[in-house]
Amino acid sequence: MKVLVSVKRVVDYNVRIQIKPDGSGVVTDGVKHSMNPFDEIAMEEAVRLKEKGKVTEIIAVTLGGAKGEETLRTALAFGADRAIHVKEEGEIQPLTAARALAAIFKKEGAQILFTGKQAIDDDANQTAQMTAALLDLPQATFASKVELDGTKAQVTREIDAGLETLEVDLPAVISADLRLNEPRYLKLPDIMKAKKKTIEAVSFADLGVEAAASLKTIKTTPPPTRSKGVMVKTVDELVSALKAKGLV
Amino acid sequence: MDFTFKEDHIDFSDSIRKFLMVEAAPEMLREIWETESGRSKALREKLAEQGLTALSVPEEFNGIGLGDLDWILIHQELGYYAIPDSLSDTAYLAAWLLNNLPGDAALKKEWLPKIANGSARIAIAHPVNPMVADAGNADLLLMWHNDEIHAVQRKQVQMTLRTSIDASRRLFDVTWKPSDATRICPASHGASLWQGLLDRAALAAAAHLIGLAQRMLDLGIDYSAQRKQFGKPIGSFQAVKHQLADVAVKIEFAKPVLYRAAYSVMHDKSRRSVNVSHAKLACGEAAWFSARKSIQVHGAMGYTWEADLQMFMKRAWALNAAWGDQSFHKKRIADFIYSSGAALGPGETFT
Repeated sequence: MKVLVSVKRVVDYNVRIQIKPDGSGVVTDGVKHSMNPFDEIAMEEAVRLKEKGKVTEIIAVTLGGAKGEETLRTALAFGADRAIHVKEEGEIQPLTAARALAAIFKKEGAQILFTGKQAIDDDANQTAQMTAALLDLPQATFASKVELDGTKAQVTREIDAGLETLEVDLPAVISADLRLNEPRYLKLPDIMKAKKKTIEAVSFADLGVEAAASLKTIKTTPPPTRSKGVMVKTVDELVSALKAKGLV
Repeated sequence: MDFTFKEDHIDFSDSIRKFLMVEAAPEMLREIWETESGRSKALREKLAEQGLTALSVPEEFNGIGLGDLDWILIHQELGYYAIPDSLSDTAYLAAWLLNNLPGDAALKKEWLPKIANGSARIAIAHPVNPMVADAGNADLLLMWHNDEIHAVQRKQVQMTLRTSIDASRRLFDVTWKPSDATRICPASHGASLWQGLLDRAALAAAAHLIGLAQRMLDLGIDYSAQRKQFGKPIGSFQAVKHQLADVAVKIEFAKPVLYRAAYSVMHDKSRRSVNVSHAKLACGEAAWFSARKSIQVHGAMGYTWEADLQMFMKRAWALNAAWGDQSFHKKRIADFIYSSGAALGPGETFT
């Protein structure tokens, strides 16, 4: 079984995000980037399924500029067999990413598209769902457990009421939640081997994909500064304070 | 000339940092300190799994076959997390020494694969160190004797455990009898090998020291951001934050010196030993400065057993004297600058 894993290059989760002075976005120049943590989890799950003999080939895909290659090298070090780089500079909106992933999914004849549930840069949480819609495939999002059984996948999801288990026919799109697994540490020999693997570069034109421009960023601002708290001595005082603010 | 690190170096260092962040947490270090051997088989196995033990071993002996520059950022991370394991002695120094021995294919064939897979621990005795680190845990000891190199098994030596200020170290007085049977390299070739080993050992110690300096600075910053006086975090007071800013500056000034030394060792430059001594002094001073300032920021509790800071400070203290103390390295630099025709000045930095 062939699976596709989409991996996105994002600003590293340890970096303190700075807003550009003109409010057009966040500062990304000279800032450490790494693979989106949810995509790492998706990648790890694909590798574990391959180790169990359920998956035969893992193809990592990323979209973006030249530096996206670093993210693909990381995916190859994790255990991806090959990698495809949709090399396009500039902003790539979720719908565009979904179109490109759908085109590659079809071309490769993959059975599962694994993605992170969302990227930590825009937190859009749209690509997996849009790709499933474009491919007219079942989707199981926010997976915390995945079991493959021939032509079906059982996916446990974390929802507000507890755990929900879905059974989806393959091919399908599955997005990974935080507790699906704990990604492995990359080993030095694997990092070195990954450097020697080839990465196929394609463009939107090669895939017959049109870039979407349905979203426009109007302004980026930092979250409001947290106002100073008030200490209350009793529960009654707390209730009164909440009532005064109209919160209860 | 491009002095930036290659992507591989950064990737290796990132990967090791993520690994050590979890596997070498301070509570784990304390547990290992309290064991008799001071070493953890499980940790060594994990280090081997990551490929660290194979880094310097040539590919023909199941290693990765990398060099000094590939190690430098990894040494920094190992220092930052103060791992209680003599990884550098075995995987960096002994691997280099054994691999560069003239002839003696049998010894290489026996020990290099074991170093690569993490199953061997090798201790090194050099006259610059009065005691032998980790001799009690070693499967093989490489001993200096009048510039000859001797290889002895643990059962062939008598050893006495000595206490170290750094509770993660196990230091031994070792007595042994050199013989033709134990000699693996004559003095004619051994002298330059021992010199090369000393430079690599001092370079590794310097890199560990700069990692420790950064760790102690980070601890100082964390503490000063949390501890409050007069209703504010103490880090908001100029008298505190400027002290830590001074430490940051000291560390940043020491790093290029360290990286130049690594470059010098890797390419066997003529001023290799001088560059290494410069690095050992600069990194040692940065670590010591960081320790002093961070203790001041913590107050008296910084020196208590319960505070993690003491673990890193004592490691820095011990490492500062290992593989040549300040006097030793200052003398090497002094000998160079007082030599006739010594090429000094900015134009000579990378000659």
